[in-house]
Amino acid sequence: MLSNIDTEQTHQLLKALIEKSSEINAAVVTTLDGHPCAKEQRDDYALERLATMGSTLMSLGDTITAELKMGTCRNIISENEGGIVAFMHINEDLVLITLTQQLNALGMLLAHSRRCAADIAKTLKK
Amino acid sequence: MGAGKTTAISALSEIPVINTDVRATDEAALRKERTTVAMDYGEMTLPDGQKLRIYGTPGQERFSYMWGILMEGALGLIILVDNAGDNPLGDLDLYLTHFRPYIEATTAVIGVTRMDVATEPGLEQYYDYLMQNDLQLPIFSVDVRERDNVVMMIEALVAMLEFG
Repeated sequence: MLSNIDTEQTHQLLKALIEKSSEINAAVVTTLDGHPCAKEQRDDYALERLATMGSTLMSLGDTITAELKMGTCRNIISENEGGIVAFMHINEDLVLITLTQQLNALGMLLAHSRRCAADIAKTLKK
Repeated sequence: MGAGKTTAISALSEIPVINTDVRATDEAALRKERTTVAMDYGEMTLPDGQKLRIYGTPGQERFSYMWGILMEGALGLIILVDNAGDNPLGDLDLYLTHFRPYIEATTAVIGVTRMDVATEPGLEQYYDYLMQNDLQLPIFSVDVRERDNVVMMIEALVAMLEFG
């Protein structure tokens, strides 16, 4: 789990992501074993549950990638009738989950989310 | 949680076990370094040549959405309870409450692990609990590192399916 300082810094980065990226409706950082660390959203999604499910999905992605000897699983994308959800590693212990309701915003979702994941990783390393 | 589901499937499987273990970051880390967050999968061949596919679930309640997914189409259920956990009978109650519809539709066997570490509750207390809840299921004290112990539970489950 993150320290209070790390949690606050992570939350500030998620807040900046949501403020700067109008396409992104919600973002949550979770440990790989399913505990949410920080979250931010414009709507009213059940992000605790999404965090736990995200850890399951990311772990399955890692397992599939290892089975196929395809290196590291970078991200998992769920494209749905009502929007897109992206799951990606921040580091070996944390996962970033972001979602958009805009069906044509996959590129923006991935670009902003990857930058945010890299910023969080860099902040936590310091 | 920590009852040895991944170990049991590893002891049994004829193929390399597919697992989704990650580093535990919560109180589970006090008891084990890694925890299952999606599923384990292994296979074994029954004496009649049929292939048995074995799926392990995450044990922690926050992953309970996986329990229904993995039980879909299952022939039966083996519940492992860690007798050295904080509240073994409470753990059994949680699983039996959740899985009761599946148990009534198929069947189940209960394996109690780490009775060498904690002798209480004894098997009688587990039987009493089942009787109070109007369930008749076989209960074994098992060491899931021992393949024979795990095979015994599988055989009991198959017998329950065949003969009720």
